[in-house]
Parts: sequence; C-alpha cells; structure tokens
Amino acid sequence: MRNVKDEIPSNHGARTNRGPNQVKEFYDTHTTLVNKSILVVCIVLALILGMGSYIINGNINSILRALGNTILISVIAIAMGFALGIVIGLGRVSRNIFISGICSIYVNILRGTPLLIQIFFIYFGLPAVGFLIDPIVAAVLALGLNSGAYQGEIIRGGIQSIPKGQMEAARSTGMSYLKAMRYIIIPQGLRLIIPPMTNEYVTVIKDSSLAYAIGVFELTYIGYKLESWYFQPFIVFTFIALLYFILTSITSSIMMYVENRTRIPGYMGGAE
Amino acid sequence: METPLIETIDLRKSFGEHEVLKGINMKVMTKEVVCVIGASGSGKSTLLRCMNRLTEPTSGEIRFDGYSIMTKETDIDAVRAEMTMVFQNFNLFMHLTAKNNIMLPLMKVKGLDKVAADQVAMDALRQVGLSEKADAFPGHLSGGQQQRVAIARAVAMNPKVILFDEPTSALDPELIQEVLDVMKLLAMGGMTMVVVTHEMGFAREVADRVIFLDAGVVLEEGPPDEMFTNPKNERTRTFLRRILKEVEMLDPLPCHEPQP
Repeated sequence: MRNVKDEIPSNHGARTNRGPNQVKEFYDTHTTLVNKSILVVCIVLALILGMGSYIINGNINSILRALGNTILISVIAIAMGFALGIVIGLGRVSRNIFISGICSIYVNILRGTPLLIQIFFIYFGLPAVGFLIDPIVAAVLALGLNSGAYQGEIIRGGIQSIPKGQMEAARSTGMSYLKAMRYIIIPQGLRLIIPPMTNEYVTVIKDSSLAYAIGVFELTYIGYKLESWYFQPFIVFTFIALLYFILTSITSSIMMYVENRTRIPGYMGGAE
Repeated sequence: METPLIETIDLRKSFGEHEVLKGINMKVMTKEVVCVIGASGSGKSTLLRCMNRLTEPTSGEIRFDGYSIMTKETDIDAVRAEMTMVFQNFNLFMHLTAKNNIMLPLMKVKGLDKVAADQVAMDALRQVGLSEKADAFPGHLSGGQQQRVAIARAVAMNPKVILFDEPTSALDPELIQEVLDVMKLLAMGGMTMVVVTHEMGFAREVADRVIFLDAGVVLEEGPPDEMFTNPKNERTRTFLRRILKEVEMLDPLPCHEPQP
C-alpha cells in the first residue's frame, strides 16, 4: 500500500480539489479497511481450523500424502503440458498445413471436451484396449495432455506477438528457421507468456482435484473421506481449500519472481 | 569480363494481382556502392528483399558470385551469411545486449567460439563507434545507435555485400548523420553495398552508381554526377526535382555534408 501512496503525482490532490492530507486520509482509511477484512478472514480461518484441529492432527499423515500426490500430479502434468505445448505451439505456426492442421485439431478436441471425460477416457479406455494403468498415471496423463493444448495456444500467441522483423533479421544473418526460433523468437516469446502461463498452472493445480473421481489419493479425495468420517463439511473443506490456495499462491509468486528476473531492460514494460 | 557479385535477370515479383517488380535486370560489381532511389511504392525495398530471398521472387534469376541462388539445391542460409542486411527498423534482437546481438550469429552461423566471437563483436562495435555501449540493451539505445549496432552486426559476419533497406528512414533527423557517416566509412573501406535510400546527398557523394526505379522498372541508371545534374529521363528529372526541393525546404543548412 505504501507504494500506491508514493506513486500519486504531486498535483493529483490539486486537480481533484482534495488536499494532500485528504488524499492521504483516503488511502489510510482504505488501507485500514483492507487490513481489517484480511484480519477478519484470518480470525475466521483460525477459528475453523482450531475447531478442526483434532481432525487434522488425527489424519496428518494421510493429509500430507494426499498433498504430496496433488503436488506430484500437478508438477508432472504442468511439465508434460509445457513440453507438449512447445511442440503444439510451433506446429500451429508451421507453414506446413499438414502439421498445423493436426495441431489445430488436437487443440480443438482437447479444449472442447470436459477434462473429466478425458480422465475417464484414459483411465477406463486404456485398460479396455489392453493397457492396465494406475489411476495416478491416468490422471497425470489426462491433465498433461489437456494442459498441452492450452499451453500450446499460449505459446502460439507468444510466438506470434514477436514482431516479424525479429525473424527477418535472424534469417538475414544466415540462421535457419529453427535456429531463429530457438535463439530469437522463443526466448522473447517465453517472457511474454508468463502471465497467461501463471493462469494455466494455477488452473492445472485446481483441476488435479478431478482425479478424485477415479480414486486417486489426493487432496479432494482425502477431503471427501474426512467429511464422511467426521461430518464437518465446513471445517474439512475450508482446510482443503486453504491447502489448494497455498499451492496456487506459491505458484503465482514463483511465476511473478520469474517474470521480474527475466524482464528485458528497456523493452516491453521492462524496468531499468 | 569480371563476374558481377550480384546479378538479377528479368526479376519479377507480384503480390496477388499487383506486379511490383516488372523484370529487373541489374548488376552489382565487387567493391561497388549502388544506391537504389525512387518514389515510395516503386518497388525498391521489394527488389532488395528479393536479392537475399527474404521475399521470394515470382520469377526470374538471381546470381550471387556467378552462381544461381534460385535453384532447389541453393543453401540460402549460407548465401545470406555472405549477403547480410540492415533494416529500416533496425530489428536488433531485443532480448540481447548490443554485443550479444553481434555475437549470436557469429557463433550460431559461422561457428566461432565465444572468445573469438567476442573479439570480432568488439572490433565491429569499435568500427561504428559504440564500444562503450557493448552491454546496453537495444531498448536503452537511441535509434541512431541501434542502427549502428545493426550495421556492426551485418559487418561482423564479414559478408561479400551488405544490403541496406532505407537505413535512415525511421530515424529522427538529427540522428541520420551518424548512421550515414558509418556507412560512408564502410564504403571507403571497400565494402560492396546496395543501398535503398531517400538520402540524395549520400547517394550523390558515396554511390558509384545510382539506379532510379519507377513502378517496378529500372528507368535510368548511371554515375551519380550524371544522374543528379543531367537526368535523361523526364520522370527521373521530376522525381529528383521534387525530392531535392523538399530537402532544400526542410534543411536550409547543408547538414548532409560529411563531418570533418
């Protein structure tokens, strides 16, 4: 909040007929309000968790294992989706209509059908054709394939928003198309796509909860079980939601850090 | 007779229905500085971009150093490494420092190691007077400085010819001279150059030969003195009169003279 105050231009007060003190008061009141509401939320959370501490304590090992599985599924699915996304993204901008056509069909199918159906498709479908599959593997596979479609579209957007002149300049020095992509276009494009990628990663973490439907031992699954053992829906699901929230917050913070670290000086909103 | 470094034979380019180049025959000899002038839309830039096939010609023949570069077997990347280009909008790699802009193609195309590439890059930067900006990112350089880095990048590849596509058209007037000075030095150093430009002062002073392009056809070509003082073609005369008058009106002082 202090930053917001610092950024107010000195003539701001004059233009809106508010003295500097009034402006300060406004922001102080605002800050206090925000702080107060955060405080209230924290107190409520603490109360709920306090009331439910016996549930948490009694099942801490299961909860940690479930948390571990959620993290495992999400991380592998995100990584797999990224690798796939690069291939799809490059394929979508390819001048070869065959390649771009296949990639486009892939994206449209995976993006246009429910993720839960895709999970069922893999978990029940693969054994039907002779591949026995562990539920957690099925979940990772489905999430990864699905995320690949989304990440591919994000990467395509990133590649296409790099000015044409960059590719021309690279080609004019004798770089091949692939070298130009690798050393010039992709490094610049990856920096651009960090904000939409953050969205996607947070979505994958939350969507990993769908794995509960095929019996994967992850956070939503343990939440469901705890609720049916203790009949404390508010306490249990507040706790589970909080764990998801912590995971997604950590992800956003990491991505924000990466964004700041890879900022290009003097370019596209890059600071000094 | 000496083989021309670049030769185009009946070069044509159409964008859809619109034919931009209508059969261009031109030659560029080694160590020659050729300036291509003409009104906007006359096809100057297209002609230049066809020479290294950044724009694919519709038909016709291009020979580089005696060999056709329009065959299926042509390694166009190898050709471009010897026929580098400087763009109107500089097109520096925005995520790399000035020095790395020069080093990257040296390492990835010519296969130089880091130490050697560093040395060549610093030499090139010194040549354009920007060695102190080696670690600056393009976003922190002025337009003129960016264009000088772009020229250094083109020079560092040690090409047989450099193509300049309106190198000063995107620059603020006060920054044009520093770029022209660098180009002048290059020309004096014996570099073969093809320059598409609106800088008549530069063309007149530096060019060995000026080509006047109009509506996709070479209307007139010859030594600059002849072209500027006594153009044979009526259209050339009209064009030169108009553009020289504009320059006079804009710059009452002869600021396009070389700086001592």
